Amino acid sequence: MSLSVSELKKAMEKEGYICEDDIAVTVYLALTLKKPLLVEGAPGVGKTEIAKVLSRVFNTELIRLQCYEGLDENKALYEWNYQRQLLKIQIMKDTADSTALEKDLFDREYLLERPLLKAIQADRRVVLLVDEVDKVDEPFEAFLFELLSDFQVSIPELGTLEAVQIPIVVLTSNGDRELSDGLKRRCVYLYIDYPDIEKEVKILLIKVPEAGEKLSREIAGAVNFIRANLDLRKQPSIAETIDWARALVALHADALTADSMADTLNLLVKNRDDREQILEGANLMNILGRGSLKVNAAGEAGCACGGHTHGAGSHCHHQHK
Amino acid sequence: MDGSKVAEAVALAESQAGNTIQYSLIKFIRILRQLGVRVSSAEAIDAFQALTRVDMVNREQFRAALRSCLVKTKPERNVFELAFDQFFVEPEEKQRRRELRRKQEEERQDQLSRAESELMEVLGDWQEGDTQLTPEQLKTFSSMPRAEQERMKDILERMKANPVNNPGELIARVMQSSLNYWRYHMLKAESARGGISRELEAQLTGEEELDEIIEGVQAEFYRKPEDDILYKDMQSIEDQDLVKVTALIQRISSRLATGLSRRFRRSSRRQQIDIRRTMRQNIKYGGTPLELRYRSRRPFRPELLLICDVSASMARYARFVLQFIYGLSSAVRGIESFIFSENMERVTPYFNRGRGFADTMTDIVNNSKQWGKSTNLHAALGTFIDNYSDLISSDRILLVVSDTRTLSPAGAANLLQDIKKRLGKIIWLNTLPGKDWGAYPTVALFEKHFPMYECNTIAHLEKVLHWQVFKNA
Repeated sequence: MSLSVSELKKAMEKEGYICEDDIAVTVYLALTLKKPLLVEGAPGVGKTEIAKVLSRVFNTELIRLQCYEGLDENKALYEWNYQRQLLKIQIMKDTADSTALEKDLFDREYLLERPLLKAIQADRRVVLLVDEVDKVDEPFEAFLFELLSDFQVSIPELGTLEAVQIPIVVLTSNGDRELSDGLKRRCVYLYIDYPDIEKEVKILLIKVPEAGEKLSREIAGAVNFIRANLDLRKQPSIAETIDWARALVALHADALTADSMADTLNLLVKNRDDREQILEGANLMNILGRGSLKVNAAGEAGCACGGHTHGAGSHCHHQHK
Repeated sequence: MDGSKVAEAVALAESQAGNTIQYSLIKFIRILRQLGVRVSSAEAIDAFQALTRVDMVNREQFRAALRSCLVKTKPERNVFELAFDQFFVEPEEKQRRRELRRKQEEERQDQLSRAESELMEVLGDWQEGDTQLTPEQLKTFSSMPRAEQERMKDILERMKANPVNNPGELIARVMQSSLNYWRYHMLKAESARGGISRELEAQLTGEEELDEIIEGVQAEFYRKPEDDILYKDMQSIEDQDLVKVTALIQRISSRLATGLSRRFRRSSRRQQIDIRRTMRQNIKYGGTPLELRYRSRRPFRPELLLICDVSASMARYARFVLQFIYGLSSAVRGIESFIFSENMERVTPYFNRGRGFADTMTDIVNNSKQWGKSTNLHAALGTFIDNYSDLISSDRILLVVSDTRTLSPAGAANLLQDIKKRLGKIIWLNTLPGKDWGAYPTVALFEKHFPMYECNTIAHLEKVLHWQVFKNA
């Protein structure tokens, strides 16, 4: 399971995860120092994907704990199968002697393992993904970081269960809430930003090879411009860029035009205001201009739509209904 | 181990100290700490271990290794990058930067002495005894905009030209007080920047080498004040920043709103077993409670009633508060907004027309009779009770946004208390800075009856709404 930084990067790329050196180094350190990896960043930059890719790189199981407000130990660690215990009591009511029954009731077979316990008890080194850890309540967070530093669990009826193999732990956070110092201290920290054009082109070429270099470059340029210059309610994520590219390919668009954008933009932004902001004359022009599209002398992006007139000095607003 | 061996080991360590990687790392961590990044010893050890596992000759790997162990938030990352670039450089580059900084310092000194001589020239021999300018005042003059300096000099020249009764002392005093005013003005502008830069009030270590870097990072940091808007007094937000602020408010309010709508679905924490339904459900099992039934608390969806002061002193705040509240409208139902100064006006209908926020605000300002008048909360609340008392119900939260300065405050407090009896909660958002509250008797009067929170930055607004309106309601 030991890889060098460059080997790790290559392995991740082979599994379809394009990353720069700094991401590879940080992941590598988390692996070699055997520390949890805390990944932060805007939604849709590929935080969760890291865990999935790692599980594929090491060909191991991915155990996922999705966090939400109100998540507690019963749902994250273990729970006694209370219904089964009750049934057992009912069945054995008249026959067994009570002490044997009690011993029997708290046997491992009545234990419902939840993700955290499952990850600790696994025979081989699994990947444990604790997704959106910023959503949990603070007491649970404290419990979590105790678990992540000792990798052992005390179950009163069974005693202490120690990790067979220390799992690869990936925690992700959207930054909804500041995490406690204790948790952060125990982790190796990685912040992922939106990719630059080159990286996004690479991602598109891997995920949507049929789009081709030219279209991919136009798409990446447009998305990059949108993220950098427009104040949208939600910035388009990488996943949405990929969806958008797929949609454009499905409609046999070989270049970004005002028309093809208007038809497919719903896959990139999921909000009416955002959509209108992008399709607004000046912005659209810039976006298309960025995407290395021909810009005519008047500065207007060449547009393929024939159903409108260009008034003197007015931008073209596309309102295809 | 005998004494000499220990001494030997210590001597060896000391002789190598300046060059080892540990030593550099410790110095670097010290700089980060002085810059306000919290680095624990455990993290320092991690960082060292991390360094031993990467290719240290590769600068980017080296940087990534340190970064992943030493900084754990996004704003800290910026500080880290700046400090790293300043600290881990070639000696020649370090020397060059030192020169540059020395030059900047000299320029500042030059500026100061030039200002001094200019002032001396104008004031001439009037300056004597206790009318002499203090160093602080000189510094103020030197950092004033050039046009203002000229203007001030001009006024002085003209006064001097009046030979009637050479009012030397008077002029010097005028000069001093206007300089004091400028100093106050500039300090205020500086303190309004607040935020992260306030946190970045780094302390110097006293070691020249480290201090240079700390100062360098600070200087760099102040050049990028984007994050400051969040912590800026809303009143002093410039028009050119409005677009940025609008986007910021939108982002924050939608974040609050999504947090909120998530909470509605997930309420498992507050579940209680519903005995009656559990019994009924388990009759088929002979009363053994195999299937539990829960009773969860009704999800809380606040209804907001906003009463916003738009008198002359408050109008600018009102714009942002209204915008913020409306940003929440995806998660909060039935927001009712009122503006008041001399009287109360309902503005909710403006917001239901589906126009952009900027247009809506323009409409309100143009059509409202209240915008920018003097304040009479008593009269305004009277109108409210007469016309809109059907809006007062126990599941509503009333937000009052005002600096408390109003005519007949006692009457207003009485009316508000009447309203409070029939309402869920009243929260007062006060735009006066908290430290000034003592100076206003009206603050004490209202604070006695209603929870009051300082609210003059967008960060305040977010915090109050998050904790007081949505979390604990």
